[in-house]
Amino acid sequence: MHEGSIVAELIRVAEQHAPPGARILRLGVQVGRLTGISPDAMQFYFEVMREGTRCEGARLEVALLPLRGRCGACQQAVTLESEAVWTCAACGQTAVGWENGDELDLRELEVEDA
Amino acid sequence: MPEVITIEHKILKKNADIALENRARFDEAGVFVVGLVSSPGSGKTSLLERTLQKLQGRARCAVIEGDVQTDNDARRIAALGVPAVQIVTNGTCHLEARMVQEALPQVELRGLDILFVENVGNLVCPSSYELGEHVRVVLASTTEGEDKPLKYPAMFRKSQVLVMNKVDLLPYVPFDLAKARACALQVNPGLRWFETSCTTGQGLDAWVDWLLEERQKRH
Repeated sequence: MHEGSIVAELIRVAEQHAPPGARILRLGVQVGRLTGISPDAMQFYFEVMREGTRCEGARLEVALLPLRGRCGACQQAVTLESEAVWTCAACGQTAVGWENGDELDLRELEVEDA
Repeated sequence: MPEVITIEHKILKKNADIALENRARFDEAGVFVVGLVSSPGSGKTSLLERTLQKLQGRARCAVIEGDVQTDNDARRIAALGVPAVQIVTNGTCHLEARMVQEALPQVELRGLDILFVENVGNLVCPSSYELGEHVRVVLASTTEGEDKPLKYPAMFRKSQVLVMNKVDLLPYVPFDLAKARACALQVNPGLRWFETSCTTGQGLDAWVDWLLEERQKRH
């Protein structure tokens, strides 16, 4: 439920990066699967919190990134498009080390001259 | 014409920057800072009370308490004669580095050995916000599910130490300690593990000795 705090910061960062006078049309955000952050909750807060800011009327796109890792036991590379599992599907050991998953980035802004 | 600007900006960069500033102040003052997180009711404040009693005369301590409402916890700590500052978040479900920074003028860092920062009881939200602490300790307890680490992996991954509290209740609750430990190590193989009871005092000496060792390393 801290998505509200995160969205407040997201709007602040977007306003800071948008060229002066430009209208913000879209915010492209990427979220790692180990952050525990819910894209749906971000959308909900964004729709409420964008009002009265330079993001008013803008669209929020949140991409959940694939999780990449390797099993420490059998060295099998693992990529997940779902929530994290902690057991290697190849060898059954609980030795999967994730190489990403902590991302929480504003990747791009789509803007237009007002 | 619409135009796409590449940004690549960490949304919580400002928090991370303030956390680094906090850390620099802690290091300059030579104080070891321990963050405590858990779900509500695992025993963070009880563990702190017992820990502070054991550290009396061995380390100079202070506490920053984070709660959504009330200064009850800061009062409990102050009753032990230990300086305590309460941060009331007024609804915010976690501490942020800025809140700790704003509380720091009320803490005399110089001459301090260990500063404890007790976060709001919540296994989700505090995981996204570094505060500048040197170690993050997550508490769990035998009255919770063994699979807490699998349900809240972010918090257990971002902690370096797990204190399993309320082990005195093991004869009375259907809690599988080995399973809980396996779940925790699945999520974070490097997690250091302590077992404590704040009622009987079991395991507290090992925990306190570890704190003192870590403190010594950073002196």
